Amino acid sequence: MWSLACQVLNEAQLPIQSGSIVKHTSSTAALGIIANPASGRDIRRLTSRALVFPTVEKVNMIERLLGAFAATGVGRVLMMPDLVGIAAGLLRAIDGRRGQGDAAWPEVEFLEMPLTDSALDTERAVERMRAAGVAAIVVLGGDGTHRIVAGACGDTPLATLSSGTNNAFPDLREATLTGLAAGLLASGAVTPEEALVSNKRLRLRVGAREELALVEVCVTRLEHVGARAVWDPASIAEVYAAFAEPDAIGLSSIVAGVSPVGRRQPQGAWVRCAGEGCGEVGGVWAPIAPGLVVPVPIAASGVLSPDEPVSLHTLRGSVALDGEREIELDGRQAASVTLELDGPRSLDVPATLAAAIRRGALRYPAGAGGQR
Amino acid sequence: MTKPLTREDLLKAYRTMRTIREFEERLHTDFATGEIPGFVHLYAGEEASATGVCMNLTAEDHIASTHRGHGHCIAKGVDPVGMMAEIWGRKTGTCKGKGGSMHIADLSVGMLGANGIVGGGGPLVCGTALAAKLRGQPHVSVCFFGDGASNQGTIFEAMNLASVWNLPVIFLAENNGYAEATSSKFSVACDNIADRASAFGMPGITVDGFDFFAVYEAAGAAIERARKGGGPSLVEVKLSRYYGHFEGDQQTYRAPGEVQNIRDTKDCLLQFARRVTTGGQLTQVELDSIDAEVKALIDGSVVKAKSDPKPSEADLLTDVYVSY
Repeated sequence: MWSLACQVLNEAQLPIQSGSIVKHTSSTAALGIIANPASGRDIRRLTSRALVFPTVEKVNMIERLLGAFAATGVGRVLMMPDLVGIAAGLLRAIDGRRGQGDAAWPEVEFLEMPLTDSALDTERAVERMRAAGVAAIVVLGGDGTHRIVAGACGDTPLATLSSGTNNAFPDLREATLTGLAAGLLASGAVTPEEALVSNKRLRLRVGAREELALVEVCVTRLEHVGARAVWDPASIAEVYAAFAEPDAIGLSSIVAGVSPVGRRQPQGAWVRCAGEGCGEVGGVWAPIAPGLVVPVPIAASGVLSPDEPVSLHTLRGSVALDGEREIELDGRQAASVTLELDGPRSLDVPATLAAAIRRGALRYPAGAGGQR
Repeated sequence: MTKPLTREDLLKAYRTMRTIREFEERLHTDFATGEIPGFVHLYAGEEASATGVCMNLTAEDHIASTHRGHGHCIAKGVDPVGMMAEIWGRKTGTCKGKGGSMHIADLSVGMLGANGIVGGGGPLVCGTALAAKLRGQPHVSVCFFGDGASNQGTIFEAMNLASVWNLPVIFLAENNGYAEATSSKFSVACDNIADRASAFGMPGITVDGFDFFAVYEAAGAAIERARKGGGPSLVEVKLSRYYGHFEGDQQTYRAPGEVQNIRDTKDCLLQFARRVTTGGQLTQVELDSIDAEVKALIDGSVVKAKSDPKPSEADLLTDVYVSY
């Protein structure tokens, strides 16, 4: 066996310029995979031109991850089970490979846990992966899925993959590359310092309740959570963003249109939208959903400083966290948003692969023939 | 944008869901006496689906229902008193006592009929939708069907036709997890029925069928899209039925406690009541009042049905054939 990860670096010798490759097996390296079975099927397929993300494609993405894990010497993968076919599809794929004598994938272990077909399944799976000491959790989902994972992952880093709609937080990237980078991190071919970046997060407090968001908190004038998505600009009252990049799709684009904020900047930003009867005010054209570029009137805007709570202006309506309405506001409770700089760590795929190449971790020696 | 719900809308939604529940619970009790002819397939547990969809429809819009059609009928505006008489086989019934549970139809409110043929509604709504389109009317048609019907060729053909002709049709898949006694996990290849939409060039979404507000918004978006000429769509509503496939089904294929757990944690009426009272839109007193009114209505409908006359021999061949 000669895997890419056999060419790992001894961390004590870092930084290594050349020729200092320490070979060892990394078959005990473990990664987790969370694939949200529900992502990519919400109402935005009707209200915008969002894509449908079928179960079979999620299974394909996991297969591509496993191929990359195998190449990097990852020996074990913990996988969240589900009730709608991702786990079943993966089992069929694993059985099929056995029959064809294909190169071995890592051992895939489905977590034994009760299933509720809700976000609780994700939380439970993340807690188990964290307890098992996985090197990272690869997440297939949208901003909402990543929000749930981030709330439970603690220090365990995330490798993000978009399989939803309107996503600003996860990477829209070929899964093979994310798998390669995650495998290189798990096997020790690159260091956490090289591979990982810190993220911001927002903490929403409504009375005694606390919730987290990774991208934005949007206060709407809609009284009910309903079908969760937000697509009518007239319903948007306030948006608080941890980051708002000019090329983002989704609600953070409203903030970006006023005052863009980068992912790594130590601040956030907010806007308050003008409602009916506020007269003629200027605003921004914002791509709040695929194919949906809408005018949003802006009444005020400002900066979110770390650890300084900002009170919500609108106390009756509902709050969307990373694009999905989650909380109904009855007007009786105070609510605030606070920017925090110590959010989850995530895998920087380009930086990880660049570091690995720089160290020669993807090269094999003459005579090995590239065989694994 | 789906029309915002007014206070009156919320009262109507609760009354409709409560009427369906009371109607079905009463049938569950009365069917066991052996007095009701034929079969009944109860809709209890699925009320948020029919109500959330039909609150977006007008009397000029059409729906096609299934063998589990009582909820669709009530939500579309069919008189529950006439329905009860129909199920009891009385001359005063919606279809003069000749249709029974599985063939209740009332064209005056756009209800094309319950249907004993699994997957039979798809072609029917393509017909009404085509008529509306040719006449230039802004009417839509909704085909309710289940996870069992999702595997039927009629549904595939109807989805294809609706897409090819860009018809104002909403295919409303009520996925309660079981086709009679067969779990959809063993019988539906794609796991999410909504995934099948893309094969027919239309959008497909899934929605929580225990949540009236979610169904109302999702169906509203699909209906508005169809009304504006956007064409057909597929909405998969995930829910559960509280009783067997038919009355008498012992449900040995369901896990112990499965239904009770759903009743305790997800029930659409409990969720609705909690949210509107917590939010201050309605009071518990108002909901209790509706409960009492609905109970009186259903009790009265049973008393009336029992005392109403049955069709006579002279009625045997009337209303059966139509001359064109």
